Amino acid sequence: MKKRLFSLLAVAILAASACTSSSTSPSAAAPGTTGPAVATPVVTPAVTPAAAGGTIVVGLDGDMVFADPALTSDGNSLYVAAQVIQGLVGLKPGTISEIIPVLAAALPTVSTDGKVYTFKLRTGVKFHDGTTFDAAAVKFNYDRWKAFPKGDLQDNAYYYGAVFGGFGADSNLVSVDAPDATTVVFTFKTPQSNFLISQTLQVFGIESPAALQKDKADTTPLKDNKYAQGQGESMVGTGPFKFSEWVPGDHITLVKNPDYYDAAGMAKLDKITFKPMGDSTAKLQALQSGSIDLAETISPADVATAKSSGLTILDRGQSCNLGYLGLNQSVGGKATIYANKNVRLAIAQAVNKQGYIDAFYAGQGKVPQSWLPAATTGYKAETMPTYDVTKAKASLTAAGLTADKLKVDLYYPSNVVRPYMPDPKALATAIAGDLTAVGFTVTLKSEDWHGGYVKDATNGNLSMFLFGWTCDWAGADNFLYTAWFGYQGGKPNLQFGWKNDAANALMLKALSEPTVDAANADWGQVQDMLATDMPTVPIVNSTPPGAYTSKVQGFVGSGNAIEYFNTVSLSK
Amino acid sequence: MLRFIVRRVLGAVPVLLGLSIILFLFLRLLPGGGPAEAILGQHATPELVAQINHTQGFDQPLYVQYFAYLGRLLHGDLGSSVIDGRSVVDTFLVRFPGTIELTIGALIFAVGIGIPLGRLAARHPNSWIDGIVTVISLFGISIPVFVLGYSMAFVFSVELHWLPQVGQLDPRLDIPVVTNFSVIDAILSGNWHIVDALAHLILPSIALGSIPLAVITRITRAAVIDVSNEDYVRTARAKGLTDSRVNDRHIMRNAWLPVTTVIGLQVGQLLAGAVLTETVFTWNGVGSWVVKSIQDHDFIVVQSLILIFAVIFLTVNLIVDVGYAFLNPRIRYS
Repeated sequence: MKKRLFSLLAVAILAASACTSSSTSPSAAAPGTTGPAVATPVVTPAVTPAAAGGTIVVGLDGDMVFADPALTSDGNSLYVAAQVIQGLVGLKPGTISEIIPVLAAALPTVSTDGKVYTFKLRTGVKFHDGTTFDAAAVKFNYDRWKAFPKGDLQDNAYYYGAVFGGFGADSNLVSVDAPDATTVVFTFKTPQSNFLISQTLQVFGIESPAALQKDKADTTPLKDNKYAQGQGESMVGTGPFKFSEWVPGDHITLVKNPDYYDAAGMAKLDKITFKPMGDSTAKLQALQSGSIDLAETISPADVATAKSSGLTILDRGQSCNLGYLGLNQSVGGKATIYANKNVRLAIAQAVNKQGYIDAFYAGQGKVPQSWLPAATTGYKAETMPTYDVTKAKASLTAAGLTADKLKVDLYYPSNVVRPYMPDPKALATAIAGDLTAVGFTVTLKSEDWHGGYVKDATNGNLSMFLFGWTCDWAGADNFLYTAWFGYQGGKPNLQFGWKNDAANALMLKALSEPTVDAANADWGQVQDMLATDMPTVPIVNSTPPGAYTSKVQGFVGSGNAIEYFNTVSLSK
Repeated sequence: MLRFIVRRVLGAVPVLLGLSIILFLFLRLLPGGGPAEAILGQHATPELVAQINHTQGFDQPLYVQYFAYLGRLLHGDLGSSVIDGRSVVDTFLVRFPGTIELTIGALIFAVGIGIPLGRLAARHPNSWIDGIVTVISLFGISIPVFVLGYSMAFVFSVELHWLPQVGQLDPRLDIPVVTNFSVIDAILSGNWHIVDALAHLILPSIALGSIPLAVITRITRAAVIDVSNEDYVRTARAKGLTDSRVNDRHIMRNAWLPVTTVIGLQVGQLLAGAVLTETVFTWNGVGSWVVKSIQDHDFIVVQSLILIFAVIFLTVNLIVDVGYAFLNPRIRYS
């Protein structure tokens, strides 16, 4: 009774405190990687007896976009699809780059020139519609993606174009052949070192050819595409859960696949309901009240409250993102002070990264030792500048700039929370303080994330700015080439204006190496170049926090936020 | 009466046309990215943005885009989302029932409590009862919907576990979606699931209905006091009519007019308030859809939804005007 009275009195206090509550949503995490309902997942031992069956309600960061993963690139769609659709290869649960065979019986054999990959497939696997998974189904899917026509399908199938360099004749993937029912052969124009890791992406999951054809999955405009809209027999894969229902904006329901081919990976739950919840405060309250069992992400600002409420914070282990301070050497065709290497070095020495992580990331971040998260394929630890005010001042003196040149703008985004940037304004304010301490005069400037910030940053209109990248797949190429330093249209990325022909050539070489080891050696050299030149200042590798109630057991988190629910059970 | 209705409907056409132009230009002249950036997320390179803008026709001159939009509109085509390709009409039909339920719930709360409270205060003007009612209405009108929503959710869901806070139905109950009206679907599924549907309605309805409650209470109080001071009321009392007869047949009948006007206007306010309430309570309605579409810069959806809102608002006002005639026979439209 006393507690109830207290609760009622709390309304008035909350009325004031809620005014300051963040209503912005944390962004979706990694538009991730695919994965299996693997045969032997790493399962956290159950602490209390768990009941088989039941329904778990999961607060998703937003709604799915399409029920056909081939047409998606957003984290929400892929989070759901990971339970239903499987690819030839996937990632060991809890890791971001340990590749394991899923629908393939083993990892492929690769020709010595790196142009031909041969997979042997699992046998006895059925799609959810009862048809047989075989080499012809794999060929059908890859041929389908390659043949996507210009327009809606190509526009939405971002990953196929990005991974294979285009569609149709532009694709580096020459052919996919099925010489027999259990063998698939991939042939490339040029070797492609990121092929295997990129195929762990859920968008390369194999769907039932019969279902794709039955509901005319290539129909455009997409409003008439029953398969993509989830209104037909959609998302028909081979995973431990089957697609059941999608009420847009309200929920997505998956049910257990009782005919799953791998007894060890059989789902324990009867049903998963994904509830799109954009608002972080609502999500936390829903966890506290038991309306949902698990939240894909919560705001780092809510971590302490969640812990004190008895919720468990997801252990996402290996980070798959990097937040950085962008320094643009050329804005509007004019060189900025950041073209001066000593200025960049001074900034790198002036920023107290560990201090920011302690203050703003709720223990969910690490200081980067390179431009990649540590678990990424191709990662090489570099000797990075450490926080040292004296050295920073010396570097700034060496830059030889007058005081008026040291008046700089620092941009941060408003109305957004990203895993690598949970409180952009606070982070920018702290960085501005550190830069001021070594001799800069900093003016903080802000733009709305959706209302111009992203566009201005990527179009090269911001000189110094906060930004970050969440991995698509945990390969060096995805960060170093795709996200940042690969030349676009033959020119340096407008974000940084960092002209380095040698690094660009080395990245192109790495991409077309016949083996991953050879590529990794190249990526290591690229990181050496970056450490020497400091084109940007890496700030943090973070893991997006999520949370679940004490009922949830056996959940294995992953830094790329592609997580599998077949190992999850609910206690009574 | 028919001529009045026709004139009002025709009068709405230029209003809607003007609104469509303003909306169209406003949304496209907003700073920042467009839907292409929302589709591509972190992959939004200038080249890919240009490619999608070309596919969707966003690189056409504005007047070309507008007339294409208007042409589709005249054919009853409200367009499709650039993000998920869904027809606006299809999604509207899925989501609007949720907003209707919430609006009805809020209206029942606001009218059901606001009018008795207003009458009570009017019967005891300047008394302590009047004071309490005034404080309640001030509280309702001044506290933001989202503050009230989060606060109630904290108390009644998180702490007391009395009421649910997320969505329209408990997903664990396996209630099939048939009509998209959660209450009706719950009834159809049997097993007393209607209790769950109604429980989900309580907190959002109170949050959304708080401002209309305050407004209706104040207007009712003022209207009743005004009418109570009329000569004919004094005459009625002097003739010895009972209090209840005077209240029901002489005071309330005349006080209904301003109260009805305000209730009609509140429907528009409720649609606006639904934007926040639906977000706080993860309610699958049109309001939360507006928020998402604005965040995604999904021009087509936003402009179509606002037009629909405008049509609803105009329709409700027309119904209110027509309703006057039934409430007050002295009013005649020509």
